[in-house]
This record gives sequence, C-alpha cells and structure tokens, in this order.
Amino acid sequence: MGLVPDFLLDYITVNTYWTILFTVHALLAVALLGALTHQAMSVLAPVRQVADAGPGGFVTRFRAVQGAGYATAVCVLWIVTFIFGAWIYTKYRMYVRIPIEQQGYWKTQGFFEMKEHLASIGLGLLPIYWYFWKNARNQEYDSPRKCLTVLLAAMCWFIFLTGHIVNNVRGFGS
Amino acid sequence: MSTTTNTPASPGSVAASATFRTFAVVLAIATPVIYTICEMRNWPLFTYHPGINRVDFGWAAAVRDQGPAMYWYGWIANTLIGSAVLGFIATMLPENATRRIPLSLVWILPIVMIPILVYALRFFWRW
Repeated sequence: MGLVPDFLLDYITVNTYWTILFTVHALLAVALLGALTHQAMSVLAPVRQVADAGPGGFVTRFRAVQGAGYATAVCVLWIVTFIFGAWIYTKYRMYVRIPIEQQGYWKTQGFFEMKEHLASIGLGLLPIYWYFWKNARNQEYDSPRKCLTVLLAAMCWFIFLTGHIVNNVRGFGS
Repeated sequence: MSTTTNTPASPGSVAASATFRTFAVVLAIATPVIYTICEMRNWPLFTYHPGINRVDFGWAAAVRDQGPAMYWYGWIANTLIGSAVLGFIATMLPENATRRIPLSLVWILPIVMIPILVYALRFFWRW
C-alpha cells in the first residue's frame, strides 16, 4: 500500500491518509507555481520604476513583484513538494502506474517519467538559483539568473500540468 | 528595476561566499549530467520494492509476484551524492580556476539533457 506510518492508521483510514498527502502536495505545487511564475515574469518583463510608475493593470502588477523575495520560498517549496511527491510515488507505482500501463496509456506514463526527471534535475539547480537571487545586484549574474529562473518556471509548469493530467487519467475516485 | 531590488548579501554569509558559489555552480552543472547517465544506464544507488517495503543496495530485479522495483530514488541518491562530491572537490581548486567555469552552463546543460531524456523514454512514445 506504499509508505504509511502505522501509528497514523489508528486515527485515519488509508484512503484519508493518501488523500491528505496528495492534497498537500497539490497545494504546495500551486504555491510553487505561483511564486515561480511571478518571478519569471518579473525577469522577462521587468517593470521600470520610473517609466511604469502609476497604478498599472493586472499584468503590470503581476510582473512588478520583488523577485529576490521569492528565492528562498521557491527553494523550500520545491524541496518540500518534491518530498511529498516522492512519498506519494510509492503508492503511484503500485496502484496508478500498473493500471495505466494495462490500459495502454503509454504516453501518459512517459510524460509522468519526464515529470519526475525534471523535478529531480531541478533539485540540483536550486542552490545556484538561490545564490544568484541573493546576489541580485551583481550584474555578472543577471543573465544566468534570468535564464535559470525562466527554466525553473517552465519546468514547474510542465511538472504541474503533467501531474494534473495523470490525476485526470487515474486519480481520485478511480 | 524592481526585480533586483533586495538587500545585498551580507559579508560572511553563505550568499556572499565564493566557496558556496563554486559548490553550487558545479552542483548545478553536474546534476543533470549525472542524473541522465544514471537513468540511461539504470545505475541506482539502491532499489526500493514498494510491495514488500524492502530496499536492496544497487540495482535489483523486481521480486516475482511481489510487485515492481523502483529505481528512481536510487538514481536521485547517486546524482546528489556524485554532484555534491564534485562540488566539494571544485571548492578546493583555486578561485581563479573556478571563476572560469561559464555560468551559462547552469541553465544550458539541463536544457541539453531534456531531449536526451525524452529519447531515453522512447519506450513510452508509442500508440
């Protein structure tokens, strides 16, 4: 049944346990996606304080965030979301992947494999991403910080959407 | 620009450390490469059998009638340990040598590894 601490089963059912775990994983992923998307927009289309001063619209406010303030939160969210995902993966491997393969959803499973690859690679990128943002006034890091942030955001979108699609194929209630 | 408005890293902190910079750059460069090698060669540090909650060192085949074997955790362990070791070794090199490592590699290499990993998953790209 995957990794379930025995003492918890005195209080909740196995299904409730996995539902809580999955819901927390999804909520953390939403927070991470939001933070990275804000940050990526802030480096792709930065708001110039003098020229763009004023009320601005939704898009302007969306990209006008202080990107550096998100760096630590993004690192923590990526790691915690990853741990939850890795935990759920034990259940997924037994009760989701096997039926997916039996039903011939090969590409769905392929995308899920790609999702786990990108999430793993992202882990190794976090320390330098954090360092670049903590030294955001160093112009030497402007270009790699921008590219790395956009890359992490793109990876996060892929990971998020793939997880969502896999859940649609065989998630809650299936 | 608002994107770069923040408090500068204080001297003596990790964020101002040249040693941490070297470690983090090498870690970021090594991670996608080592992970891709581990995935393509199927080199896990350990194998987890979720059906029977057992861990075997290195690669192990699935136990008959006891569910699948999981290698992904073992690939990650190999990747993070290998990358961290390379990062630590790099911190022992002179700073003028490590400063020559192109920073663009930290985002170019992960992108380069994506089509390789897609190719490695070719088993799944079928109708």
